[in-house]
Order: sequence, then structure tokens, then C-alpha cells
Amino acid sequence: MPPKAILFLGVFVGALCSAEPINFSRQIRPILSENCIACHGPDEKARKGKLRLDDEQDTKRDRKGDFVVLPGKPDQSELIKRIESTDPDDVMPPPKQHKTIPAAQLALLKEWIKQGAPWGRHWSYEPVARPSVPKNGETNPVDAFLADRQKKEGLTWSAEAPKAILIRRLALDITGLPPTPEEVAKLSGAKHEEIVSAFLAKPAYGEHWARQWLDLARYADSAGYPSDPGREIWAYRDWVVKALNQNQRFDQFVIDQLAGDLLPNPTEDQLIATAFHRNTMTQNEGGTSDEEFRNAAVIDRVNTTYAVFMGTTMACAQCHTHKYDPITITEYFRSYAFLNQSADSDKKDEVPLHEIYPPGVKAQREQWMKDAAVAEAVFKKPNPAWVVGFDEWLTKGPKLTDKPLKTALDAPQDKRTKAQLKLLSDYYVRNISPAAKAERTLADDLKKKIAASKPVTVPIMQDLTGEKRRKTFVQLRGNWQALGDPVDEGVPTHLARWDESFPKNRLGLARWIASHDNPLTARVTMNRLWETVFGVGIVRTSEEFGSQGDLPVHPELLDWLAAEFVESGWDSKKMLSLLLNSRAYRQSSASSAKLNELDPDNRFVARGPRFRPSGEMLRDQALAVSGLLSAKMYGAPVRPIRPNMGLSIAFGGSGDWMTSTGEDRYRRSLYTDTRRSTPYPSFATFDAPNRETCVIRRGRSNTPLQAFVTLNDPVFVETSQALARRLLKEGGTTDETRLRFAYSLCLSREPEANELATLKTLLTKSVAQYKADAALALKMATDPLGPTEKGADVPTLAAWTAVSSVIMNLDEFLMRR
Amino acid sequence: MLNPIREAQLSLQTRRTFLSSVGQFSLGAIALHAMKADALGASSSNDNPLAPRKPHFKAKAKRVIYLHMSGGPPNLDIFDYKPELVKRSAEDCPDSFLKGRTFAFTTGVPKLMGTPRTFKQYGQGGLWMSDAVPNFQKIADEVTIVKAMHTDQFNHAPAELLLFTGHNRQGRPSLGSWATYGLGTENQDLPGFVTMISNGVQPSGGQGCWGSGFIPSVFQGVQCRSKGDPVLFANDPPGMTRDLRRATLDALKDLNQRQQDELGHAETVTRIAQYELAFRMQTSVPEVMDISKEKPATLEAYGAKPGESSFANNCLLARRLVEKGVRFVHLFDWGWDFHGTGPKEDIRGGLTAKMAATDKPVAALINDLKERGLLEDTLIVWGGEFGRTPFREGRTAKSEVLGRDHYPDCFSIMMAGGGVKGGFQFGETDEMGFGGVKDKVHVHDLQATIMHLLGFDHERLTYRFQGRDYRLTDVHGHVVREILA
Repeated sequence: MPPKAILFLGVFVGALCSAEPINFSRQIRPILSENCIACHGPDEKARKGKLRLDDEQDTKRDRKGDFVVLPGKPDQSELIKRIESTDPDDVMPPPKQHKTIPAAQLALLKEWIKQGAPWGRHWSYEPVARPSVPKNGETNPVDAFLADRQKKEGLTWSAEAPKAILIRRLALDITGLPPTPEEVAKLSGAKHEEIVSAFLAKPAYGEHWARQWLDLARYADSAGYPSDPGREIWAYRDWVVKALNQNQRFDQFVIDQLAGDLLPNPTEDQLIATAFHRNTMTQNEGGTSDEEFRNAAVIDRVNTTYAVFMGTTMACAQCHTHKYDPITITEYFRSYAFLNQSADSDKKDEVPLHEIYPPGVKAQREQWMKDAAVAEAVFKKPNPAWVVGFDEWLTKGPKLTDKPLKTALDAPQDKRTKAQLKLLSDYYVRNISPAAKAERTLADDLKKKIAASKPVTVPIMQDLTGEKRRKTFVQLRGNWQALGDPVDEGVPTHLARWDESFPKNRLGLARWIASHDNPLTARVTMNRLWETVFGVGIVRTSEEFGSQGDLPVHPELLDWLAAEFVESGWDSKKMLSLLLNSRAYRQSSASSAKLNELDPDNRFVARGPRFRPSGEMLRDQALAVSGLLSAKMYGAPVRPIRPNMGLSIAFGGSGDWMTSTGEDRYRRSLYTDTRRSTPYPSFATFDAPNRETCVIRRGRSNTPLQAFVTLNDPVFVETSQALARRLLKEGGTTDETRLRFAYSLCLSREPEANELATLKTLLTKSVAQYKADAALALKMATDPLGPTEKGADVPTLAAWTAVSSVIMNLDEFLMRR
Repeated sequence: MLNPIREAQLSLQTRRTFLSSVGQFSLGAIALHAMKADALGASSSNDNPLAPRKPHFKAKAKRVIYLHMSGGPPNLDIFDYKPELVKRSAEDCPDSFLKGRTFAFTTGVPKLMGTPRTFKQYGQGGLWMSDAVPNFQKIADEVTIVKAMHTDQFNHAPAELLLFTGHNRQGRPSLGSWATYGLGTENQDLPGFVTMISNGVQPSGGQGCWGSGFIPSVFQGVQCRSKGDPVLFANDPPGMTRDLRRATLDALKDLNQRQQDELGHAETVTRIAQYELAFRMQTSVPEVMDISKEKPATLEAYGAKPGESSFANNCLLARRLVEKGVRFVHLFDWGWDFHGTGPKEDIRGGLTAKMAATDKPVAALINDLKERGLLEDTLIVWGGEFGRTPFREGRTAKSEVLGRDHYPDCFSIMMAGGGVKGGFQFGETDEMGFGGVKDKVHVHDLQATIMHLLGFDHERLTYRFQGRDYRLTDVHGHVVREILA
């Protein structure tokens, strides 16, 4: 039996044996939802037998003396009879559904009816009520809840991990970068809480946590679809980094992104934040309908909004009333109506755009543009002195690239038209004439200044006004051209209460989501935080909190976290600190046969968390320990080394790129140019999404192709070479001191004697090989990093490159312990 | 997501664990877990998501080679002969065909255009083929032509995504990834799902055409190349020898094993295994991708030349890959968008030239597989994402070049091997080639049929994501039983 099933049945069987009161939401609703609700649920069109099993009244009503559920009497309840029936015409679920309800679940249904069939709402739609913290001697509430649960499961805490390991764990989890040996030395005397605060204060924190948010925001530096042209929207990425570093209140973070433009007197940052929803794709393929793809973008905004903030899959209700959750197709398009007023309309220029200037530059540039217009107008007025030398210039046969000009020039003198002659003389005056030099210099100078002060742009949300506002209709079967009834703006009120003080626009939608009354926003956000720190969410399906999602493994803890989050003033750093300071987090990550069997995913957290990080983080880590990493923050995307594939994008340019030079080659992965049609290969190999649509949860695969990346990708070869040079330069003079230095850089610990022995053996063999073949050694030590210092011992460097690569492929390096 | 391999190892479980753990099932879904495991046949004891698995029922096809012609080949100039349209060539297109419709590049009233090509019937089944495909003519007895295919999309990217993922937008698993999710693969030293691209441009639908969407990424297509690294980063860096690579991996294994002993994480065991597999792939992949040792006669039959990255080379590589146990090979060939914007897109000379580089290797592939006894359980599909209009494309109507616009209502595809009839044509379009009139086959039906040939009930091969059981055919699809051998 699968381990998850063991856990789950544990709940059931425990309940049955002890005859504890059955919890409808947690124990019964999932069975009904999985097996029955698609045909006996909210969707009127799909509903069979006039029965709604998502509705208490309908389930229990008298049907001419028959009862689907008769509280207290399982034997007289049709629900049980139908499940137990052997008649293929009567049995439920019907055979063609390929579903069977196992005996344990059937027993549970019977017990539930016997107990009077108590009802309840789906757990995540219930208001968050702050549970009391168990009193069991734990000081951190997180630990108090976990300790109670561990006790029930027959588990207990593991020992605390060694300090240096914890420093490394915290550095990687908070900043995405390993600690330097100096940091480890400095912090090894500090209290755990002080270490947490120290790393949280680093700007690298915002860079690391922005990556995850950008998955949700489906951020990319290209517009998507086949031609996938570049898109300038990086100001939004930088805004996310800054907002996280400033620890902006999460409710405000939500409101700014969904509706910053609709706030009174929005700041520039609030406008930039709205690019969150301008990360939808733009279709530039010839022959496509702008309205169709504008519609697709709005649909994506609806789905993304509900998925990211409320863990709710709205997509189902786009075509038909949701089969499992109480969301109708009308409600879907009422939500759509909020987002249907944005002025953007799938245009190539991505308008509306916000222009960003450094302080003072905007006014200066406007002045230059006025001056330039004047300066250019001067040339339009004929001045005989300026055409002196024109005929001579013509006979010299100047090289002209502009096509009409070239045609005019190439035409025989007698065949040249008047217009052509004018074209040529205008060109001469503007570009060649010695007499017009002063005027020309002035105009050219202004032109240069204007070009150099070009603003950075970012697509933003901006609602249409007056007559231009769009009408929204229900789209039948999800078809944008098949329109049903008109609808106004509104939210699915089953999910959360709508406060009449909210404006009926995007800002109202944002306020509804960021309200403390919304039961989903805080739960979903805290669950995601938990997932990021501990590997698996308290609700495993972090993307789905509806009735088809998983149940929380620690429901009280999740609610406590959600309540605390809201009460703290939506303080993200505070909640993160709470988790990182917990005893749960500080444990050794070593597992045991018992733990592996009882809790393979570590959901009861009886050991420290350990799982593989993202591909972006692996690259950053390699750059950091090798000393190559650039500390430069923000700005236009960069292009680190990437293999050329020799392929073009359909109807677009080459999929390959020119590698950035200088430090831009070694920037944090966050700043890598994110192309939707050609994702950065190594990130994709480590499960990075292509950012076409919002991805709530990345996979964590473990494949041989990943070994190819960390062994052979030029990025990782280059970091091995750089690390080798660093070890020889800074790591003392013996093999052993160098290996110790490598371990302190890469793993924040001392190597064991047998580890040293293994690596020394490899080193000896490598040195011998490279001493015997100088050409081979040169390649190994310099391609692609570049020439070594003069007089460097190249074979030794080559050998250390091989050794460095091994250290940077250690399980412990790839998966911090 | 859980690492399926790790979980399997931890729980010392059978494949059932894997199948339930890769899905993002709700905790309430135990019945479903059991059902899924059962639905996929008897369990075999292994811990690898790509290990071979049995389908729902006995399969006719064990593997698939899908030859996709990106852009939409002109069906009316290849397989679908319309003499009435030829008669009415240059007439105004009747309003009834245009009313309420949108075309990609045509507005106003275009002119009908019969095929300028010569059609004849070939083989025992009397299959209609034009002079554009001299080599297809010779294999007429091996193939089924499905003539009333239709789709919902008339732009390239959405049409390709609909065809290969069952949905017109990005984000769903592709045909090949469903196949490997269901069946695993036979050779663990090679990727289970391989894609190759010819003529230098990736398809409009992008990498989503071979992506894994929301199913685990181990099932996504691995792009192989006949130039450069055969698989991305498979080549050791310059200066690394095989001998030293082995030594580095030995050291790594040794150190990682120590880590495993200390921390007891099964994922470490998996990582050790994956490095060893990577090492083996470094030999097996270049070996299989090297066509230079093929017999000259074979190279000649395909028109393949070692060192190139042509469609012909890719056809030969497809045979080499399936021969070695790869489950799904998906080839994408660029250059089939016959609008008529240039001589290459002319349905006369342009099509002749394009087909000269296409129908020969395809015919050679089918013959080659047959000779090797592989055709009977290898399914071949050849076709595009939609068809082309029976009228001249609007933009190019005044030029010398003859081209047609995108057209979703009818197109032809060719299938062979793997449980499909030979010498058979299925379905009919109307006399003008504007729509199917008999035995229409939607792209979802084609998907259902491919899954059926691989031994799956397309409605039962599902994956739980965001609370819903997804399948390749969405909520559609009927198996086209008439074309089954």
C-alpha cells in the first residue's frame, strides 16, 4: 500500500476504532467529492437523478419515503445501498466511471450516517479561527503543534544540526547563496535567531524569493507564442525584489500588483507593480485575431488571480459550472468583468506602457525633443550656401544604403526626377554640406542625447473609461465568440464575503482578496511558505484548496499560521523567521529506516528539511563558491553562456543568443533573459517552467540529464575552472589545505579523513594524466574560462578543475543538508 | 512534487506506488489510486518511472514515429483529388464557403484553385496520390490515408498544440509524454521520448509540442541532434577523457555513498544511479546518433548524409532509435506553410522540391522498418496541423506563385504500420474540398486512436492535476476503428 494511503487510512481507521466523532469536511466530503460530486454536484447540466451531494438539505430530503442519507440509519440510506449494490444498473459510482469505493471508506460513510450524518462546509471556505496553541512545553507555537502530532504518530524530534550546517542551511534558504567561510566563522558564535536576522537583512533575500514569485507571475522577458519577441518588463522583476527586501505588507503587495493603478495618486512603484498581469502572452503570429488573444490574456488573468492568491482552480468554470466547487460559469465571467477593462489589446507595441526615467531626466528629454524639432526644421528652409559642392558630391558616387536614395543616385542624370533630386540634395544638406556643419552638429548632438535618455518602459494595467469600457458577457462553453447573458463585476461569494464598501472594479477585487475576511488568501500564502521551507505544503496540493485538493496534514497549525500572519500585519519576514527559528527547522536532516517508512515526505517534520533546490539556485551557488558571481543587482536581463542550438523560432529570429560580456556573464540567475520559446536549458532540465502560464509548484525530478548539466554544461565547467584557480591561489600550499578550503567554501564543513583520501587519489591520477598531455590540460583548465595567469601550472589547474567538478557534483552540494 | 523514484525506494514498493505518487492525488482518492494501478495492468517490481509498463490491453503498436510537417501541407495537391474544383478553377469562391468565416491571410472573395498537379490511383486500394509524391506512390499498399481530418484551429501554434497536447494553449502534456507516462520505455540507456527538428526552425507550437505539461518532467521529449551534442550537455567538456570521467564518477560515487550512509536519504541513492546512467548514455546516445556506419545503400535509400541535420537523416535516426527501444520519436520538419509568398511556397515547383526531400526518406523508413520486422508494431504518422484552402490565398493572388491559406475543416494524414490497415483510404471530403462529408476524424479522434493502438483506453489514462483528472483527449475523442488492421 502506498505510504500516503497508510497515513490517510490511519485517520479513518483511528476514527472507527475509537468511534471518535467523524469530521465531515475532512473525512466524508473528500469521498463524496472524489466519487460522486461530478454528477451529483453544483453543475446543473451534469447533474443526474436530481441529487446534489454537495448540499445537505438535498441529500437528506424525503424522496417519497426514500432517503439518500437518513441520519442514524445507514441501512435505510440509499447512498450505502447503491455503493453496496452488485446490480450494474444500480451500483454507484456507475461502472463506466471506473471508480470503486474501498471497504474502509464505505465503513466510514456508514459510521458517519450512524453518528447522525453531521454536515459542514469545505474546510478552506470556513473562516480562519485562531486555534489555541497546545501546551506541551514547546516555546515556538509551530513546534507545539508539530510535537502534539508527532506524539500521536509515535515520532519524536531529531537532534539539532551542527551550527555550521545550520548557517549554510539558513544562508541557502534565505538568500539562495551559500555562506562564505568568513560568514560561517563570524556567525558561529551567534544565536540562531541572530543568524536568521542577519541573512534576512541581505539584499540577496529579495533576489532569492523573487524567483518563486516570478513563477507565479509567469514573468518572462519575451511576449510568448510562436514568434516570441522580446518584451521590456524587467522593471517589474526589480520591483518584486525591492518589495520583498523592504518587507512590504503582503496585503499591500497583493493590492499593488492587482490594482496599483486604481489607487488614489498611485506612485511609480504602484504602477510598475501592475505589470504582474501584463505578463500574459501577446500573440504576434500573422493572421491571428487580436480580440481572441486579448480574451485569452484576460482568461489567464482570471485563472492566475484565483490560483496564486486563493488556491482556487477557476479554469473549470470557464466552460461550465464547476463540477466540484461552488463556482458557476456566471460567477466566472463576473470575475472576468473585473479584468476586462484593461486597455491592452494584444498589440505588438504592448501599450499601455509606463515610461521610467531617472529623476529629472524626463523634463530634460522633453526639452531636447522640442529643441531637436527646431534644429531639424532649419534644414527644411532652402539656403543656397548649403548646396555648394552638391554636384561634385554626386559625381563622386557616394555610398548610400537607404534604398530610395540609392535608386535616385543610381538613376542617370537625365532620368533623375525632380523629387529624386530633392531627396538627394536634402540628404546632402543634412548630412554632408560643409557649410551646414554648425547646424548639423547641433541637431546630431540633440539626437544623440535623446537616444541616450530613452526611458525604460514597462507594460502596465490601465482601465478604459467612459464609452470605451467593454461589456462583459458569459462566454458559452468557453467560446469567446458565443456570448450569453451580460454580467457585471462580482466575486464567487461562497468563497469569501464581499464588503459593500469595496469599489466594483479591479481595486475592489484586490481588496476582497487581501481582506482578513478572505479565508483562502492567508491560508494559501502560509501553505506556500511552509512548502518552500519544509519541502511539502501542509496542504500538499498548494495549487488547489478546493474540494478536489488534499486536506491539510496539520489543519490547526495552518489556521494558526494564517491567523498569525493576518494579525502580524501580513508580515512575511516575521512569518518566515518564525518557521526558521523553530526547533523543527533546526533539526538534523538525517533520516532513519523508521522515518523513511513512516514519513517518507517528512510531513510530520521529525527531521530537518532536505530537498533539491531549483536549477537557478544551483547555478548561483556554483558561481558563488567559484568567486565568479557578480553582486550587481537589477537592470535589463543578461545572457549567460548557453549552447547554440542553431534553430530559429517560428516566424521569429534565431533562438540562439550572444553571450553577455564582463560581469553580466556571471549575474544571479534571476537576471537571465527569460525566453518563453527557448527557456534557459539548464534551468528547464531542473524543472523550471517556461513561464507561459502561472505555475504554482515546480516538480523536483532527479534525472540523468541533470547530471549532464552539472558535469558538462559550460557554465558548470567554467565554475569548476574558476574554483580550481581560487583553491590554488587562496587555499594554502598543500593538497590537503586546498581540499579543506574547497570543503569550507562549498559545504561549510571540514572534510573527513576518508573523503580527503578519495579526492587525493583522484587528484594524483588527474595530475599524472594532465602532466602527460599538455594540450589536454590547457583545454581542461581554460575552456571556456579563458587564459590562466602567466606562469600558472596548467596541468595542476586542470587536475584541480576535475576535482572541483566532483565537489560541485556532490549530493551534499546539490541538496544542502 | 515527490520524487517517484525516491518514494518507490523508500517504501520498497511496486510500480503502484509510483503511479499513485507521481499523480497529485487528493488524500481522499484511495479508490482512484487503486483503480489507476489496476487500470495500468499487472505490476512489475521496479523503481524507475521510465521502466517499461503494460498498457490497459494488448497493444498493436509498441512504439510511434510521428512525422510532423510544420505549417500544413497542401492536402488538395497531395492526397485529396478534387476534379470538380479543377473544373471551376479561377471562379470566385462561392459565398456559402466564406460567410461568417475568418481566414488567416484572406479577405474579400478569393478565386477557387484546382490542383495544378496530376493525380492517379496507386496500389491495390487505389489510393489517390499526386505526382508530388512519387515515393509515396510506391508504398501505397502499406498506408492508410485519412482524408477527412479536421481541427478547431486555423493558426499554426494553437493547431499544433491542439494536435499534440489535446488543447490549443500551452501547459498540457504532449502525445509523446503521455505515451511514455503510460508505457515507460524499453531501453534505459536512451531517452524514452526523443524529438528532432529539421530545416532549422522549431515548430510554431514551440517546445510545448513535446513538453510534459503538468506531468513529471521525466516524461518530456528529449531533443536530439545529429550535429553538436547529440543530447544537450552529453559530451564531456574539452580536456576530459573517458578514463578520467570514469575516475571522477568513481570518486563521486564513493563520496555520495558516504553521504547516503550518514543521512539515509534514498534520493542520494537515486542520484548515484542517475550519474551512472548518464555515463552509460554518453556512450549509447552518440552511438545511436551516428549514422556513418550505416550501409551506403541504406543511406542512399533515405537520402541521408552523415553530418547533416536533414529530415532524411532524422528519418534514419528515428529507425535507429526505435530499433534500440525508444518509445516515441517525434520529428518536426519546417517549411510546409504553402501560402505562395515565395517560390518555395508554390504548390507546383515548391511542393515538388519540398517533397523530394520528404517522401523519399519517409518511404525508405517504412520499407526499412518492414524489412527489419519492426513495421508491424511501429506506428508511423505523417501529416500537418491543418489543411489548406481550395482557393488561392488572398495576399499572393496577384503573384506568379500559387499558394493556399490555412484551412482547419479538412486535411489528410497518412498512417502506416502498428495495427493500421495498408492500402486503405478513409473518409471523404466534398467535391470542392471544403469539408468532410463522410467519416470525419477530429484530431482528438486521431489521439484516441493512437492511444488505442498503444493499448490504452484514452479515457482511462489520466493524470490528476489541480483537482481534475486530465487526459490527452480532454473530454472528447473516439477511436477510429475502421482504420484498424
